[in-house]
Amino acid sequence: MNCEVAHERIVAAAYGELPDEQAHELERHLMGCPECQEDREQLLALKVLANAHPVLEPDANLVARSRLRLEEALDALPPKRWYERLSQRMTNNFASMQAAPVAACLLLVVGAGAGSLGGYRIAQSRAARTAQTIQTAQAAATQQQAEAGPAEVANISSIVRQPNSQMVEVRYNQVVPQRIQGSLNDPAIRQLLMLASENSTSAGVRDDSVGLLAAECRAGHACKAAGIRDALMVALRYDKNEGVREKALKGLEPYVGEDVRVRDAVLEALLNDGDARIRTAAINILEPVEADTSVRQVLHSVANTDQNPHIRNVSRQVLSRVPEIQ
Amino acid sequence: MNGQKSAEERMQARAPEMELIREAQAGSRTAFDALVRQYEQQVLRLALHLTGSEHDAEDIYQEAFLKAFRYIGNFRFECSFYTWIYRIVTNLCLDQLRRRKTRREDRAVILDRSGDEIDLLASVPDGRSFSNPAKELDRKVLGERIQEALTKLTPRERMVFELKHYQGLRLRTIGEMLNTTEETAKNTLFRATKKLRTQLAGLR
Repeated sequence: MNCEVAHERIVAAAYGELPDEQAHELERHLMGCPECQEDREQLLALKVLANAHPVLEPDANLVARSRLRLEEALDALPPKRWYERLSQRMTNNFASMQAAPVAACLLLVVGAGAGSLGGYRIAQSRAARTAQTIQTAQAAATQQQAEAGPAEVANISSIVRQPNSQMVEVRYNQVVPQRIQGSLNDPAIRQLLMLASENSTSAGVRDDSVGLLAAECRAGHACKAAGIRDALMVALRYDKNEGVREKALKGLEPYVGEDVRVRDAVLEALLNDGDARIRTAAINILEPVEADTSVRQVLHSVANTDQNPHIRNVSRQVLSRVPEIQ
Repeated sequence: MNGQKSAEERMQARAPEMELIREAQAGSRTAFDALVRQYEQQVLRLALHLTGSEHDAEDIYQEAFLKAFRYIGNFRFECSFYTWIYRIVTNLCLDQLRRRKTRREDRAVILDRSGDEIDLLASVPDGRSFSNPAKELDRKVLGERIQEALTKLTPRERMVFELKHYQGLRLRTIGEMLNTTEETAKNTLFRATKKLRTQLAGLR
């Protein structure tokens, strides 16, 4: 190692950023190089001197003032215009957005008396993509024509204002409502059910779909490849309705032993779910993997910190039942 | 064993913050306010130390969180929210430092709490303390000399030194925040320490 490299590594080492083997090499070099030893001395002196300008905690008044000023600024923000809100939702959902390629171009006249945009109902954008999948899987299913009602706008893909004019060009994609009947084995039906489990605003629809998907998983029908297991884990983690989460948990039960992600999802539910019934169900489901170290860690934590005394009890019982594995 | 424990802690810590972020993205002001409360102390601490001025720190706080509010929809969970917020703050700090550089003349000025400038020439010890060398290394004077030396660094060098030495972040994180590589951050740190040592050589 030459001294130039050593000087750089001295800095890295002083800040704990030198990998161990290089640190060892550096020490060997320093043992035989007084000049580099001096260099290190100076760097350590610099670190001490630099602390004569210490980092101070911001005082409470500063924090309060800053927060107040921020709140006022946020309150004063104008509410978002309808196309800004749509644009934001589009950005948020971009990953999942693949609307049907039926695009229409529309010229809008925007003037002082704003034209008649009418009432747009924004449908779920993913439904549009699924509409395509359905068409390819027609064999087993009977399909009916679109029900009454005009095609709905799924999303707006661009808005361009002609310069120096009142004219605006809006590109949007449309969604056509459809209906389908079929058996649970049909991949198209399954895909729709998975969509419904995440996307529906109605708890009843989510409940039905998660219930059906969970039943598929419990029956052992191919549930991993088609992403059904993932859909159940998402429902368990994020659904606001306890009934839905409970059904998801039941569906995942057979896989807690073989799939580490399922195990972790159940552990997360045990730690974080607000509903005591679900946390209790989670403990029961973890029986096949009770001896697992990370499961025991979580059970320890739950035994001490869960709000519900029954749950703390059950956790302790489980822990005492299964011997520690070295 | 340690790794698994931190996995549990991460699970516990991550889930509520992810929920908050999603809710804030969906438009919840309450969720956004909760996120602000989680990070405001660190943001102010950094801005305050870097700028030396409560007024400037407040401005950076304001701009940073307003930006966060406006662009939270773009947050994609590929990095941690901590890194995302810090990236916004460090960029604002860099802008501040650059503005100061162009405004400042050769004479280095330091702002005290009330915003008045301290002329460093005036803080040179008088005849009496020359006879007592220990007094010269008075902490206050030392502090001012350090601040002056820091202003001689380029904004990026100053930023990297601040984040590494004063805020204790890892070089890899610093690289992410400044949109560069760990290697570049390391080189910048090296240049910064070299310059600082030259500046402070007279203080031995």
